[in-house]
Amino acid sequence: MKVENLKDLGFEMIISNQEEIIHGYTCDLLSEVMGKAKANTVWITVQSHVNIVAVAVITGIKAIILCDDRKYESETIDKAKSEGIALFITPMSAFEASGKIYELGIR
Amino acid sequence: MENVDELIKRIQPYFSELSVQEFMSTPVITVHEDQSVLYAKELMRLWRISGLPVVDDQKRLKGIISIEDIIHALESGSLDLPLSEKMTKNVISLSKYDKIMEVVKKFEMHGFGRFPVIDEQRHAVGMVTKQDLMIALLKKLSILYVHDTKREDFVGVDEFRSIPKNVKFEKTEFEFQIDYKEISLAGTGAAELKKFLLSRNFDPKFVKRIAIATYEAETNVVIHSNSTGRIKAYIEPDFVEVRVNDNGRGIENIELAMKEGYSTAPDYVREYGFGAGMGLSNMRKCADKMVVLSSKGNGVFVEMHFWRHDGES
Repeated sequence: MKVENLKDLGFEMIISNQEEIIHGYTCDLLSEVMGKAKANTVWITVQSHVNIVAVAVITGIKAIILCDDRKYESETIDKAKSEGIALFITPMSAFEASGKIYELGIR
Repeated sequence: MENVDELIKRIQPYFSELSVQEFMSTPVITVHEDQSVLYAKELMRLWRISGLPVVDDQKRLKGIISIEDIIHALESGSLDLPLSEKMTKNVISLSKYDKIMEVVKKFEMHGFGRFPVIDEQRHAVGMVTKQDLMIALLKKLSILYVHDTKREDFVGVDEFRSIPKNVKFEKTEFEFQIDYKEISLAGTGAAELKKFLLSRNFDPKFVKRIAIATYEAETNVVIHSNSTGRIKAYIEPDFVEVRVNDNGRGIENIELAMKEGYSTAPDYVREYGFGAGMGLSNMRKCADKMVVLSSKGNGVFVEMHFWRHDGES
């Protein structure tokens, strides 16, 4: 699915891109994400600081969904813009958000 | 080729505290002084060893029987004599508390291939061969994680390549100074390296492995070293070598640090999702070969080798 289609699941889009999503991964430990997330992944997390963009760039994550009504730091948004990483926010928990995406067949 | 003394002097701070009891082979195979030379010969054949400590009833070291002694016994037709008559009696032994440098000196001075180790009461408690010594040095100097047969090449030939200051590397093609201490910038160098490698037309999968490992190493410098550092990369068509080093606190116990989940990261770092104790093991998984060289107060030096795998064209 397209990154933009995440909007249809109720996630609020902060920054968009034209990438394709094939996989999903949910975790807040950066090293775990580094080690396990595949390319073209949507990453569901509660981490909002700027390092998440570096993690995304390196692993090939295309979109990040920040859960539990948290807000991105402005640095994170700037960096994501320049690196072409899509950012979303949601009041849902990481569990709920992952469930929604899972239902669409993303693994 | 640098001479060995020079090298040993240079690396000495890394292992000066290592004592014999930490790396000797134990339990030791011994033979009683009343046994025959023939019996000792059989023991040596079975265990494929070239020297046996000879002991009395209390297991106290009385001598050593070597292949040379057995050849002498063969020549003089005295294989049936008790060992007490044929063994070498003036044994040079090591104390289990001897430091590794003393052991190196003894090997140099006497030219023997092995030394028995004794405790305060002269009980034979272990054996040290040149191989034990070499493994102890390598273990202390570095932890080698290799997934393939290239390990042999490394252990056999290149062990000293990884020592800082001894590096004569002229073809570095990528260099990044980790000259910041803010966690928020961690990964900047790895992202730069990723872009650099992609611009050289390396396969994205191959580049990802390298970038992840470099990211972890860079993050470690920022979180743990309390100093600055440097990333260097050297490339060939099917091979990339990355070196990350810092001048900081160093790692006290590399083996422990290598364990998944072990972390010394402070809480504020953990809140950011770092410090889960996965960094070094992630690096190990990504790299085909990795050497970590460190000791307390001497910074950390990481060298990682990446070969292009099938499917990473």
